[in-house]
Amino acid sequence: MKTIFKMMALLMAVGTMNAQDLPDGQTIAEKTYERNEGNSVKRTLIMELTDKRGKTRVRETTALRKYFGEERRLIIFYNTPTSVKGTAFLTYDYPSAEVDDDQWLYLPALRKTRRISASNRGDYFLGTDLTYEDIKLETKISRDDYNYKTIGKETIDGHECYVIEATPKDDDIAKELGYSKAKFWVDAKVWMMRKSESWDIAGNPLKTVNVSDIREIQGIWTLHRIDVQNHKTKHKTVFRFEDIDYSTALSDDYFTEEALVDGL
Amino acid sequence: MKTTKAHKFFNWVTSYSKPILILSFLVFVASVISLPKLTKDTRYEAFLPPQDSVLIQRNQLKETFGLKDPMVIAIKNERGIFNEQSLHIVHDLSEKLKAIPGIDPDQVRSLSTENNVVGTDFGLLVQPFFEVEELNADQARSVSEAIDNFELYRGSLVSEDKTTTLVIAEMLDSYNLKQHEVYNSIQDFLEDFKHEGHDFYLAGEGAVSGYLIKYIDEDAMRTNPFAGLVIALILIFAYRTVRGVVIPNLMVLASVGIALGLMAFFGVDFYVITNGLPVVLIAIAVADGIHIMGEYYELAAKYPRLNQKELVIKTMLSMWRPITITSITTIAGFLSIAFSSYMPPMAFFGIFGGIGVATALVYALFMIPSALMLLKPQRSKAFKSADTLDVFGRLMVRLGNAVYKKPKTIIALAIAIIVLGIFGALKLQVNEDRIANFQKDEPIVQADAIINNRTEGTSYLDILIETPNNEDIFKPENLRKIEALQRHVETLPKVQGSTSIVDFVKKMNQSVNEDDKDFYSIPDNEALISQFFLLYSASGDPTDFDNYVDYDYRLANVRFRSNSGEYLDERVIVEQTQRYLDKNFNTSEIKATQSGKLALDVHWIGKLGQSHFVGAAIALLVVLIVAALSFRSMAGGVLTIVPVLISVLFIYTVMGVLNIWLAVGTSMFAAIAIGVGVDFAVHTVDRFKHLLAEKGLSLQQAFQEFFKSAGRALLFNFLALALGFGVLMTSSVPPLNQFGFLVAVAVMVSFIGSMTLLPALILVTKPKLFFTSKK
Repeated sequence: MKTIFKMMALLMAVGTMNAQDLPDGQTIAEKTYERNEGNSVKRTLIMELTDKRGKTRVRETTALRKYFGEERRLIIFYNTPTSVKGTAFLTYDYPSAEVDDDQWLYLPALRKTRRISASNRGDYFLGTDLTYEDIKLETKISRDDYNYKTIGKETIDGHECYVIEATPKDDDIAKELGYSKAKFWVDAKVWMMRKSESWDIAGNPLKTVNVSDIREIQGIWTLHRIDVQNHKTKHKTVFRFEDIDYSTALSDDYFTEEALVDGL
Repeated sequence: MKTTKAHKFFNWVTSYSKPILILSFLVFVASVISLPKLTKDTRYEAFLPPQDSVLIQRNQLKETFGLKDPMVIAIKNERGIFNEQSLHIVHDLSEKLKAIPGIDPDQVRSLSTENNVVGTDFGLLVQPFFEVEELNADQARSVSEAIDNFELYRGSLVSEDKTTTLVIAEMLDSYNLKQHEVYNSIQDFLEDFKHEGHDFYLAGEGAVSGYLIKYIDEDAMRTNPFAGLVIALILIFAYRTVRGVVIPNLMVLASVGIALGLMAFFGVDFYVITNGLPVVLIAIAVADGIHIMGEYYELAAKYPRLNQKELVIKTMLSMWRPITITSITTIAGFLSIAFSSYMPPMAFFGIFGGIGVATALVYALFMIPSALMLLKPQRSKAFKSADTLDVFGRLMVRLGNAVYKKPKTIIALAIAIIVLGIFGALKLQVNEDRIANFQKDEPIVQADAIINNRTEGTSYLDILIETPNNEDIFKPENLRKIEALQRHVETLPKVQGSTSIVDFVKKMNQSVNEDDKDFYSIPDNEALISQFFLLYSASGDPTDFDNYVDYDYRLANVRFRSNSGEYLDERVIVEQTQRYLDKNFNTSEIKATQSGKLALDVHWIGKLGQSHFVGAAIALLVVLIVAALSFRSMAGGVLTIVPVLISVLFIYTVMGVLNIWLAVGTSMFAAIAIGVGVDFAVHTVDRFKHLLAEKGLSLQQAFQEFFKSAGRALLFNFLALALGFGVLMTSSVPPLNQFGFLVAVAVMVSFIGSMTLLPALILVTKPKLFFTSKK
């Protein structure tokens, strides 16, 4: 027991010593934007949603993403379950926070494309525990929304990470995002977020996100799995990425309302 | 032979009086030490044992769909609630409720938390009815229109006349059995939450449970000391000595303390009717003390030369038999409730009532003689000498003379009561209503009335729909069945409205079709329905449908709202619904099961009638057997139960005339009245047997003797019981109130019967047991 205490004391001492030398939070956030994400990517995205009673919904989709300058477009085609096969979701994320993103959903049974109203950035994305903002950022740390404080270094899955604490810059941002506080663990080597914790507006623990199985695919550091645990609803989400392909050029035509209807 | 054994026994008791007293004290302390652990359970679910299949299913349903019995707050503005100020209040109240300890902040539902589903020309929009920051007169008007277009919330969340809207708040599971804390917090909060033109009302099942805990607490604080006081006064009148008051009271304290202490020790919850138990025990337990002290003073007057030990032994020798027999019959009354009741609150009432009476007997046999040994012989002014009689004694003698002169009139009167009583029994009405646990002028009763009048009500019937495979709920034929079920049940009396996943499907269909009212229907395409939910999840909260459909879309819950909590109404609804379900559901494709408060109520209240009559029958039978055995005569046994039988039949007539329901509280009256009331008959038969058969007195002499000594003690016994149970009539819990009233009247009838009809019967029929001398 004593040794453990000594070690802890030592670790804490090291932690505080190092704090001075650590990069500040804003710098870390900027760094996450510099990472190469590939201009476009095609991948299989399997969503596993589990409710608090342990019942699971599995949805297999094909997800295509491409940058149009700073504008990010994402289209998701549902393959299973059969009842939603052919359903497709398209989003245009504009770089400016002032401009509302555009989103459409195509329902094959209705044979109509439905525009989805500009949602709050903190709204949940298609019944998962990730918000629209989380999806947009993937593993980046927002440059604009938070005041940061670097609090130390920790290892996650054997990788060294900076730990930064984030508080929304103002109440409006906090309300929009649905977080009063967040904590991020950012890989010090590849500048990807490996873990995050967030608290709701009232200060209750809200979510824990774990990003894992990060490997180089075609020279690009790529995550293969995201686990989200919602502490309030006890709902869980697992995203698994497979068949990742950065090399095939994706035509601009995939990211249109017509493509939503036509499918792949 | 027997007497020698008894003599040895009481000789032993009086010799070891101090250790016995110390032991009595220790046992008492050891029991009451658990008292603080006692928890109160006032939920209606408490009326079913944990292993009950209907209850288990109910709990599973609650778990699957996250259903709870909520606190419901009504906000009323007679000029309408769709204005800026009122909606601000709705928002403010909803937000503040979330901060109240015990309230689940994610389960507060009101106009400010719920989402509106609207169709726009480009899609489906799920958004709050209003954003408080943007609230103005126009916004308020558009919320009003939104509710007009949202059938689901019309009538349930907002009253049809738009003067009342509800804020529904659920409690965290960790506050089970602590609902009163949440209730108090909300009540305190509402006290300070004043807004001109607005009234606030707190009701709902959660509030009823919470307020009941507080209510019965306050009631107990009032009735228990009052019962003690009444008993003390009777004892003062009877003996006019300090020990005559203190010693029986110590025994009463032990009886109540040990019974409740053991209850706490065994982790048995304190229910609403348990509140009556202390008062009942006070009234019953004191009887043993009255008889012992009465005999003691009578002997002290008769044999002034005896020393205390001789006096005590002599007292106990003549009293141990009758008090043991009467205690056994009373215990039999309580235990027959325990045996015949399926409902834990009543079963435990019987068990711990029995334990309390048994404790009183043990303390009467050990503690009273031991305590008397600490004192010197004493005479009571009430017993000046063996031959002089006080006013009570003279009263009883006069009664005896009357009986001796007109026995046949008395018997004729008794027969008339029997005939009337049988008619009354046939007309008894089993009914129950939770809100009837409160006085009519209680705020919660008024709140309940307002909410049930203006909105669709707070009494729920839930119907669980089960299908074999995931997503089967989406099948249009299944949704249509559910829809038809909703329409059918809504035609039943008192059912005001319902909600199911079907309502959302129809609303979504309308929304994606440019809000065209013609599309407020179930689409024919299963895939489309499935895709609606995906569409909804693009802008709505994924937990929005948790109350209505499970995560696999295999199970669904249909909730019906009724504005009556009365069993007679509930039974009609549940029975008619079952008939419909049997005909239209329960195939291999779709199954439906009733649950919710209504189904639970009908399940257990329906058993009340049966458990009442079975309980009464068992009590009568046991009392008959005990009496027959102790008098070694069947005729003696039958004679003994005649007065209680008449008392119970008389009560049926009273219930019919006063329109008193056979409910939880009242249904226990018969078994208790039999167990308690039979004491008078036991003493009467025992005494007459002693006077006629053993002493060989003539009938006339026996009458004289009986009325002046035993008659007097029985009069005080009766007064203690009647006034003790009468104390329950001051209870502000109506069921206890009625229970106390019925038992008090029954005891009175038993007493009068034992004093008049029994001697009359002995006089007229001359049964053998009174006239065959043992010698």
